[in-house]
Amino acid sequence: MTTMQKIHVTVNGKSHAREVEARLTLADFLRHELHLGGTHVGCEHGVCGVCTVLINGQSARSCLTLAVQADGANVTTVEGLRNRETGQLHPIQQAFVDAHGLQCGFCTPGFVMTTLELLGENPDPSDDEIKDALGGNLCRCTGYQSILESVRLAASRLQTTQSA
Amino acid sequence: MAIEIPTLPEQLPTSAPRFVGKEVNRIEDPALVSGTVEFIDNLSLPGMLHCAILRSPHPHARVIKVDTRAAAALEGVEAVLTGEDVGRWCAPAFTAPEGWGSYCMAVDKVRFVGEPVAAVAATSRYLAEDALELIQVEYELLTPVANPDEAMAPGAPLLFEERGTNVIQSREYTWGEIDRVFADADRVVSRKFRWNRVGANPTETFGCICQWDLADNSLTCRGAYQTPRFMGLGRAASLKLPANKVRIITHAQGGGFGGKGGPRGTDIAALLSRKADGRPVKYIEDRMEYLLAGGGQSWDRYYDAALALQADGTVTGFKVRLVDDQGAGAEGYGTISAAKPLAAFTGNYRIEAASYDLTLVATNRAPTYPYRGYGPPPHNLVLESLMDIAARELAVDPAELRRRNYIRPEQFPYTVPSGNEYDSGNYAAVLDRVLEMADYRALREAQAKARAEGRLVGIGVVSTVEPGVFDWNAYATVGVPGVGVPEGVKVAVDVLGNVTVAVGFNLQGQGQFTVAAQVVADYLGVDMNAVKVATASTDVAMPHFGQGGSRLGVAVTGAILGACEKLKQTFCLLVAHLMHTGPEQVELMNGRLQLKGAPEHGMSIAEVAGVMLARSDLLPPGMEPCPEATFVWTAPNRNLPDDQGRCRSYLTAANATHIAQIEIDRHTGQVKILGYFIVDDCGTRLNPASVEGQLQGGVAQGVGAALFEEYVYDPQAQPLVTTFVDYLIPTIHEVPMTTKDHLVTPSPFAPLGAKGCGEGAIHTTPATLMCAINDALSPLGLEILETPASPHRLWKLLHGHGAA
Ligand code: FES
Ligand code: FES
Repeated sequence: MTTMQKIHVTVNGKSHAREVEARLTLADFLRHELHLGGTHVGCEHGVCGVCTVLINGQSARSCLTLAVQADGANVTTVEGLRNRETGQLHPIQQAFVDAHGLQCGFCTPGFVMTTLELLGENPDPSDDEIKDALGGNLCRCTGYQSILESVRLAASRLQTTQSA
Repeated sequence: MAIEIPTLPEQLPTSAPRFVGKEVNRIEDPALVSGTVEFIDNLSLPGMLHCAILRSPHPHARVIKVDTRAAAALEGVEAVLTGEDVGRWCAPAFTAPEGWGSYCMAVDKVRFVGEPVAAVAATSRYLAEDALELIQVEYELLTPVANPDEAMAPGAPLLFEERGTNVIQSREYTWGEIDRVFADADRVVSRKFRWNRVGANPTETFGCICQWDLADNSLTCRGAYQTPRFMGLGRAASLKLPANKVRIITHAQGGGFGGKGGPRGTDIAALLSRKADGRPVKYIEDRMEYLLAGGGQSWDRYYDAALALQADGTVTGFKVRLVDDQGAGAEGYGTISAAKPLAAFTGNYRIEAASYDLTLVATNRAPTYPYRGYGPPPHNLVLESLMDIAARELAVDPAELRRRNYIRPEQFPYTVPSGNEYDSGNYAAVLDRVLEMADYRALREAQAKARAEGRLVGIGVVSTVEPGVFDWNAYATVGVPGVGVPEGVKVAVDVLGNVTVAVGFNLQGQGQFTVAAQVVADYLGVDMNAVKVATASTDVAMPHFGQGGSRLGVAVTGAILGACEKLKQTFCLLVAHLMHTGPEQVELMNGRLQLKGAPEHGMSIAEVAGVMLARSDLLPPGMEPCPEATFVWTAPNRNLPDDQGRCRSYLTAANATHIAQIEIDRHTGQVKILGYFIVDDCGTRLNPASVEGQLQGGVAQGVGAALFEEYVYDPQAQPLVTTFVDYLIPTIHEVPMTTKDHLVTPSPFAPLGAKGCGEGAIHTTPATLMCAINDALSPLGLEILETPASPHRLWKLLHGHGAA
C-alpha cells in the first residue's frame, strides 16, 4: 500500500536524503521527519497559508505539496531566517515583533515567509501590493492592521540597510 | 495584614511606571516569530501513537454494530476504541443545565454529523486514517430534527429520549414594569432577527497527547487547553478518575476565542492510551473535523424583540424573545452564551424595564460552544438595530437618539435592570470623540450626495458596553453554580534578584505573559527581561481559570499585585529587623526596600532575597526563608443572583462607539467598507498596543460574522460547510484598517483601573455593519435582519425588489 521513494531535499541550506512515502506531505516531512516545527498547518487544504514555505525561492503551500515533489529542491522555512551565529532575528521577524504584527503567532511563520518573497521581488511595495501578496494568508487574531504595518516597517528597514 | 490591590498605576511603588501603560514589545514574540514555540503538534513523546477518529455521516441514527476487526488487524494499529468501551468506562459530559451531555463517543446513538463512533491509535497518523476505512458501522437512521421549530413540534423525535423533550430550558425574566412601559409607550418598534451560526476557528485546531499511567491509574494530558483546571475537572468526571489524578499540561495555543474544544478528543486519546498499555497517544484535530464537530459553532439564534419609546425618544422598555438552537445537547456550554447578555442587557442606555423570554432547544446540529464575547454580539445587533429603526421612525439622527438615552457619567456605579452593576464610563464623551474623528457630518453629506447618484451608501453608529471580568454568578440562570473565579499566581525572587511568575495558563495570543511581566517589573523595580513567566501544570498550579470572559488581563494583574504586596510585607519585616527599626518605617520604592525619609539606607530586592535564602542567621525569629508569595485573586463584592437572575456579575464595563461607512454594490450585493472608526474606553490600558490588537482582531471577527461566515445546514441537518472554502474567514482584503482613538475612565474597582477589553469589538462590529447596511437600504424601503449579510443574501433582496 505504501510506496517508499528516495528524495534529496535541501532545507535552509542543509541537505537531507530520506526515504519517504509518496503520500507524505511536505508539511509533515518538514515538521515530523526533519523536526522543523516552525511551519505550522491550519487547514491542510490550501486555504489558510499558515504552512507557507519557499521552494526554490517561490512561496508554496507545504500542505498541498508532497515531499516527493520537493525532490532536488531548495526549501526555506522560518527556521532558516534567524542568524545562526548570533541568534538575531531577521529584519522581517524583528519588524513583526516591533509592530505587534502577531498575537497567537500561529499564522506568523506563513506571513513572514510570504513577506520574504514579496520584499525580495518588490522592496518598496505599496499597501495594495502588500495586501495582494498577503491575501492568501489567514490570521484570526490581529485583524491584519498590525501585519500591514509590520511589512511596511520591514520594507523600510531593509531598504535603509541596503542603501547604507 | 489586609492585602490592598492598587487601583491605579500611580499607586505602584515606583516613581514612574516604566512598563505598565507603555507599548512594550511582547516577551512572547521572539520565539513565536522564530517558529520555536512548542505548540502541541510540535511535541513527540517516546513510543507515541497517533489517533484518528471515525465520525458519523448521519445527523441522527442508532448505532447497531461497529465492526473493528479488520482495523485492529492492520499492522501498526495498537488500539481501537468503540462506544462499548466508552459505555463501560465513562460518564456522559456534565452540562449546565444538567442532563444534556453525551459520552465522548456514541454509545447507542449519534446525534449530529461528525459525532465520533470509533477511534484508532496507530504508529502514524496516515496509518490510523487507513485503519478507519476498514471499520464497518451499521446504523438505523432516525428522523433528524433540523431546527428549533421541528424540535418543539408535538411528537418531534427526541435527541435525549430520557428527557422527554427537546427543550433544554425555557423561562422568562422580567425586570421592572415591562407591561406598563409598553402600554404607556408612544411608539413601539419590533422586529424579528435571525443570527446564523458562526464560530471561533482559531488557526490552530485542538490537539493533545494523553498518557494513561496504568500503575497508579492516573492521566496526563498535554495539549492546547484554554482553561486547564476546568478541563481537568471535566475529564475527571467523564473518565471517572479522582480529579487529582488528572494532570493537565497546557501548551501555547494558536488562538482560542473560547472555541478551542477538546473534551471529546482528550477523552478518546486518553482511553486509547489506556487500551494501548499506557503508550502516549496524540490526537490532532484537522480543520474539517473542527468545522464539522469541533468547538467552533456558536450562536444559532431566532429573535423577536421590541423597544418602547416615548415621543421625545426616551427608550423605556426592551423586550427580547430568544429561541436558541443549541445543537445536539449542552456539552459545549453554549447555554451560557444565552445567559451572558444579562450582564449588559440594556446596553449603554437608561432603559427602566426589560424582559427576556429565553428558550434553549436541542437539535441535530453540532453542539454549540463559547465564542469570543459569549453571546452579546447577536444581542447587541438586536438592540442597536431597533435603536436605528426607532431613530428612522422618529426622524432623529441615530447618534443623537443614542446620546439622549445614555447612562450619564454621574450615575455610575449604575445598576442595569437585568442586575449587573456598571463601574464607570462617559458614553457621551466617547460618542463626541468618534463623531469628530470620523467627521460625521461630512460622512452624512457624502452619503446624501451618493444617494442622489443612486448609490447605496450607509452609515452605522453603534454603542455597546463590554462586560469585563466574568464571574460564574452570571451563568447561574442556566445552572452553573458558584460565585467567584479564582486566578492564582506565584511570584518568586531568586537569590540574584531574577523574578519568576508562575501562572496556571499558557499563551493564547492576548499577551498576558507580557502584562504579567510589565506589572511585576514595575512593582518590584526590575527590568522586564529579569522576569520569566512560566506555566504550572494543574497538579501544582494555584487555583486558576485561564483565558475567558474578558477577564484574564485584569485577573492576573490582580493576582500579581496581591502576591507582590505579600512579598513587600515580608521584605519590610526583614529589612526592619536588619535595620533595627519597625516595619512601618520601611517602604518599597523603585526596587529598593528603604527607610522612609532616608532612602539612602536600604537594600535592593536582590539583596533582600539573597539574605532570605542564604543567611538564615540574619532572619528574625520564625521567618521562613522564602522570597516567594502566592496570591489568588477574584473580583471583589460579587453576590448570588436573585430569582430573576440579577446580581453583580462582571466587574468592569468598558464601552465603545464604532462608526462604519459602507457601500452596497447593487449588481453583486457585495458590501464594501469605505471607512471604519472606533473610540473606546476600557480604563487603564496596560499595554496599549495589545489593546489595539484586541480591538482590531475583534473587528475582523465581527466583519466575518456580519458579512461572510455561516455554518450552513441543509433541511436534513447535514452540514454543508466543512472546509475553509465554504467557511469564509475574512482576509486582509475584507477587514478595514480602522481609525482608532480612546478615552480612559479607570475602573474604580479593578486592579490598576483596567477593564476587560478582549471582546468589545466583536460585540460592536456586527451591529455597526448591519446598521450601516440597513441605512444604505432604507431609501429602497428594504431591510435585512439576518446575518451574515452575504453578497448572495443582499443580491436576492435587491433583486427581488427589482433594484439591481
Ligand atoms: S495548512 Fe496549508 S494552506 Fe492551510
Ligand atoms: S496571530 Fe493568531 S492567527 Fe495570526
